[in-house]
Amino acid sequence: MNPSDHSEVDQLIDELRARVVERRKAGFYPEGLEEELGEHFRHIVAHRRASNLDPVRESLELLDRRGAFGRSRIALTTSIPGGQFAHRAIGKAVSRQTTGILQQLQEFGDATRQVFVKLVDALEDPYGHVHIDMVGQLDALWERVAAWERGPVESAAALADLRRRVEELEAREQARRFTPSYTADAFETAFRGSAEDLKDRYQEVAAAFVEHSPVLDIGCGRGEFIELLKALDVKASGVEIDPLLVSEGKAAGLDIAEGDGIRHLAGLKDRSLGGIVLLQVVEHLTTQGVIDLVAIAKHKLRKGGMILVETVNPQSLYTFAHSFYLDPTHGNPVHPAYLTFLFEQARWREVEIMWRSPPPSDDVLEVEEGISETAAANIKRLNQLLFAPQDYALVAYR
Amino acid sequence: MQLHQILVSATPSDAITNSVFELRKLLRQIGPSEIFARHVHPDLADEVIELSKYFRVASHHPSDDVLLYHASIGEPSVYEFITQRRERLVLVYHNIAPAAAFEPYDPAFAQLLTDGRHNLAALKDQVTMALCDSEYNAAELVALGYADVRVSRLIVDPRALVDMASDEETTEHVNIAVEGPMALFVGQLLPHKRVDLLVEAFHILSTYLLPEANLVIAGSPRLPRFAAAFEQQIAELGLSRIRLTGAIPARELRSLYQRADLWVTASDHEGFLVPLLEAMSFEVPIVARGTAAIPETLGGAGLLLDPSDGPLMMAEAWCEVIDNESLRADLIARGKSRLDDFTPESARVQVLEHLASIL
Repeated sequence: MNPSDHSEVDQLIDELRARVVERRKAGFYPEGLEEELGEHFRHIVAHRRASNLDPVRESLELLDRRGAFGRSRIALTTSIPGGQFAHRAIGKAVSRQTTGILQQLQEFGDATRQVFVKLVDALEDPYGHVHIDMVGQLDALWERVAAWERGPVESAAALADLRRRVEELEAREQARRFTPSYTADAFETAFRGSAEDLKDRYQEVAAAFVEHSPVLDIGCGRGEFIELLKALDVKASGVEIDPLLVSEGKAAGLDIAEGDGIRHLAGLKDRSLGGIVLLQVVEHLTTQGVIDLVAIAKHKLRKGGMILVETVNPQSLYTFAHSFYLDPTHGNPVHPAYLTFLFEQARWREVEIMWRSPPPSDDVLEVEEGISETAAANIKRLNQLLFAPQDYALVAYR
Repeated sequence: MQLHQILVSATPSDAITNSVFELRKLLRQIGPSEIFARHVHPDLADEVIELSKYFRVASHHPSDDVLLYHASIGEPSVYEFITQRRERLVLVYHNIAPAAAFEPYDPAFAQLLTDGRHNLAALKDQVTMALCDSEYNAAELVALGYADVRVSRLIVDPRALVDMASDEETTEHVNIAVEGPMALFVGQLLPHKRVDLLVEAFHILSTYLLPEANLVIAGSPRLPRFAAAFEQQIAELGLSRIRLTGAIPARELRSLYQRADLWVTASDHEGFLVPLLEAMSFEVPIVARGTAAIPETLGGAGLLLDPSDGPLMMAEAWCEVIDNESLRADLIARGKSRLDDFTPESARVQVLEHLASIL
């Protein structure tokens, strides 16, 4: 063995010592564990009851020291003169009987002593007088306690923590609950305009997908955009979460699946789509949902495939006064700069923003002739802030 | 010339008794040699003679003869006997356990140990030569003022245990019933062996590091009060994976060594510690605390912790040795090469040389 071998072991010992310090500090080992264990054993030693059979044993020893039965131990002393001789003579005369009696007594004494010794031994052996079933039950209890103690965490605390987390989740789920008294169809008709209005609005957008068949329309509603695409000979399908809208679309002979858009997209074969379109959808998604969409969509598009995401423009204050809060299911408006950032981070190509739906010219502040230049400039700035386009569409390619 | 050996008690499979038998073989090559003991276990009645019968062999020219007195405890009648003899006296010193450790359990026994130390000091002028089985023991005698102190290895052959047939029933039991890694301790359940520390370390090992680990403690519970406290400790900590075998025959011990993944001790005091050599022969890696003669016997062939290290460090070290394959291989290799320093042949030659120098 060379000295370097020794230093390797020494180094290992140092490592182990450092590990102990580290684990102690991190709370892996409870504080004061070693001291508690040491104290536990000291306590047992200090408080262990001495066997209460000791006095019995002492008495037995005393019995032993008394010696054997014998004729010599029978006193012959007497106050009558010459009486000793008489006693001796009588003793001699009945010696055979006396010896016989003493022998029997000795045998009885020995046997009795033996009984006591055995009794004390039996009492000192716990298994001799403890009910065997009780020992078995105690063993089983010890096993369970040991298993409990070996648990990775303190169980009551772990349960409390789990209960708290479940309650939090329930509360969050409760807050998300939305069961309107109206149908989505009625809402669309009241606020989004007729099918013809929608088709007019998206004619141009549909034309952009001519080279990108097949197209998936996520959140397709009744399927107006799919119809536009079909008219342009672009193969298209859709996915919609509202069952009523789905059945209407299907009745019109459109290929529409019912369900969650992102989940439906994730279930498609990779590189199976030429285009993906989401019109007024991302503002309904959760923050994480938007991030997931950007990542999953890229996998599903062929190389060169196009995605178009149209949503409310939060840079236009007019939007908030008119359209955005009209729909109670609108969650988070998505800022165009943030959405651009997300697509660029996910390495989409040619990410571009197109501004759409300027507010009606009647609503925009007018610049009257003859006012000062400053006043005119101020009105222009106000118009930019208040009356910027209500929507934007992000276009990107894989 | 007669060369007789005196010891306090002769017990089967006790390390000192075993070495006494080995030594007798050697002494009989020189002259008549018997073993006398104050307490003789019934199984050894044919081999060992009661000390009270020594007068039957004592010669008329005692100064021609040699008495080898094996000291490991005090016993008034043996000491009195020794001081009255005129034979040349060779002290074979196996060390005396520290009395303080026994005080809470058996004050009378502790007193015997204290007496043993006093007697040891008083014997120094009567002793011609002292043989010690470790440097550690030798240093104690030198400190007491002994003039001629020599280190002479114990004549032990740990390989004898390896060559023996295992106990089939025990082998089957430990192979089937004991699931997971198994640590083994071999030695009497005495306070200075610190088996209580082993239990504490095992509690930590099985609670925080290796729940499937096992600890087998093989040795006789010699001190009832200590054994009872120790068993209570195990029961209260709920350590069902600790098994106490009690005193077991060598064949069963062999089965345990064969199954063991690790040999452990937390002892505070050892004059030599034969089971270390046994563990090495069975290629079982060792983790021990560096107390008394342990570092010397181990000679680097094991993971040696500091005497100040507590159960946390012990548990981490056990876990490391169980899990770390290359460390295990290294420790086993070291053990094998360390065994070469302890062949019974070389120990016999050593003893003969020392005896020859005074005869």
